[in-house]
Amino acid sequence: MATSPSATAAAGARSASAYLTATRYSLSELARNRFALGLLVVFVPLWYSMFGALFDSTPVAFRYAGTGAFLQVNSHNLTLLTAGLNTVTLIVGFLLFAQTRSSAAFDRRLVLCGYRQATLMLAKLTALVVVAALVALYAALALLIFWRPPSLLMIWVGFFGAALIYGALGLFLGALVTSEVAGFFLVIMVSLLDTVFQNPVDNPLGNKPALQYFPSYGPTQVVVGGGFTHSLTGYGLPSAALWFVALALLGLFFFWLRTRAWNAGSRAHAIAAAPAAAG
Amino acid sequence: MSSTVADGAGAAVTAGRVALAARNISKRYGRRVVLRDVSFELAAGALVGIVGENGAGKSTLLRILAGELRPSGGAVAVDGALGYCPQAAVLNEALSVAQHLDYFRAAYGLADTRRADALVERLGFARYRDMPVRALSGGSKQKLNLTISLMHDPTVLLLDEPYQGFDWETYLRFWELAADLRERGRAVLVISHLVYDRSRFDRLYTLAGGQLQTTGA
Repeated sequence: MATSPSATAAAGARSASAYLTATRYSLSELARNRFALGLLVVFVPLWYSMFGALFDSTPVAFRYAGTGAFLQVNSHNLTLLTAGLNTVTLIVGFLLFAQTRSSAAFDRRLVLCGYRQATLMLAKLTALVVVAALVALYAALALLIFWRPPSLLMIWVGFFGAALIYGALGLFLGALVTSEVAGFFLVIMVSLLDTVFQNPVDNPLGNKPALQYFPSYGPTQVVVGGGFTHSLTGYGLPSAALWFVALALLGLFFFWLRTRAWNAGSRAHAIAAAPAAAG
Repeated sequence: MSSTVADGAGAAVTAGRVALAARNISKRYGRRVVLRDVSFELAAGALVGIVGENGAGKSTLLRILAGELRPSGGAVAVDGALGYCPQAAVLNEALSVAQHLDYFRAAYGLADTRRADALVERLGFARYRDMPVRALSGGSKQKLNLTISLMHDPTVLLLDEPYQGFDWETYLRFWELAADLRERGRAVLVISHLVYDRSRFDRLYTLAGGQLQTTGA
């Protein structure tokens, strides 16, 4: 049977409404994570001041792939950027892990009650993008207390990219790992090793080619470009985008696996006339 | 014999029509067999109970009927909308009662929450509408759990220990609600480890040894 244009339009409006509702509540749930909000307010400036206090302004060579040259950068300021990347990845990774894990059964119930999995997944991604943008903005603005970099915009872009990657990692771990402690531990360890390894001040092996395969390589290149150069290149963005897309796809796949109804296709089917055995 | 029953919303439901059919449902966890060839039908306008000891497989059966758990074998067919009230209240601790109703309104594709609001009033927890679920008592959470399963006026309702945590007054209201649903031609399946009021059911089954036996009501 052909579907009329008005029926198609009504179905489209219902889908859009369902998407907006799911996005609104997903964001509302994230905003009510008081522990993460506390971390954001206290942990970000604290991390900047602690990391910043550890290093002086000694120049250090940093391989900046945007120009292919080694930049002589200020150790203190480079470490502030590492601290920023570390905080946004920890907070957004933790937020998305906690939300995905705690709402797993609830999301499944929504699907059993008729929510399309694709709509819920799109809403979760939207919420992730919004939260990553806001947390990155806060971390970029908080940096101004300690240092005025040449391009705050590029630093925000780098922080945003890192937050997206770790938000997707949180989504993935939240859908896959059932133990809360194991999930938190993984987010913390991956974030610490990944972001600190990129910094040649903290890591004698920094600048090694193997580091380009790490998740925060792209965002680190972007924030260094914003912090120490006036030549704004997009180098680092494709690597960040690839990590984000790969982790988000993995996370959404496990989310889909965990929330699907086994007999969704047959639920609406009418039953052939048969004598009732019950009642 | 079938008869037609008009529901409160003006729709007509044929009593006696098969609303849910389970055919040869089996479930194994490794070598442990939980359900063996369970078959039964649930007619429109019937209030049916399944009792059994703890661990007998009642919740497993209901989860399979609701589509939440894949059986090792067998099939389930449902005619019309399904409402499922899980044993443990599946709610979002960060969202309020009103937000839950709105969220599930979107899930069911409903235009408004009028029926849900009426259920909230009837079950006596309207004063908690704007309170986050994390602040609710166990009984109020269970009321919301039940409201979500009923708010789209399903033709088949699956209830897993639906009155646990209810006080006596709410317990009686629950049975009034179940009787209303039956009168309007809805098929209601209640599972419980304890059944105090056998006379309320049209039929009662016992689940033991992974199999369903008719015990009468």
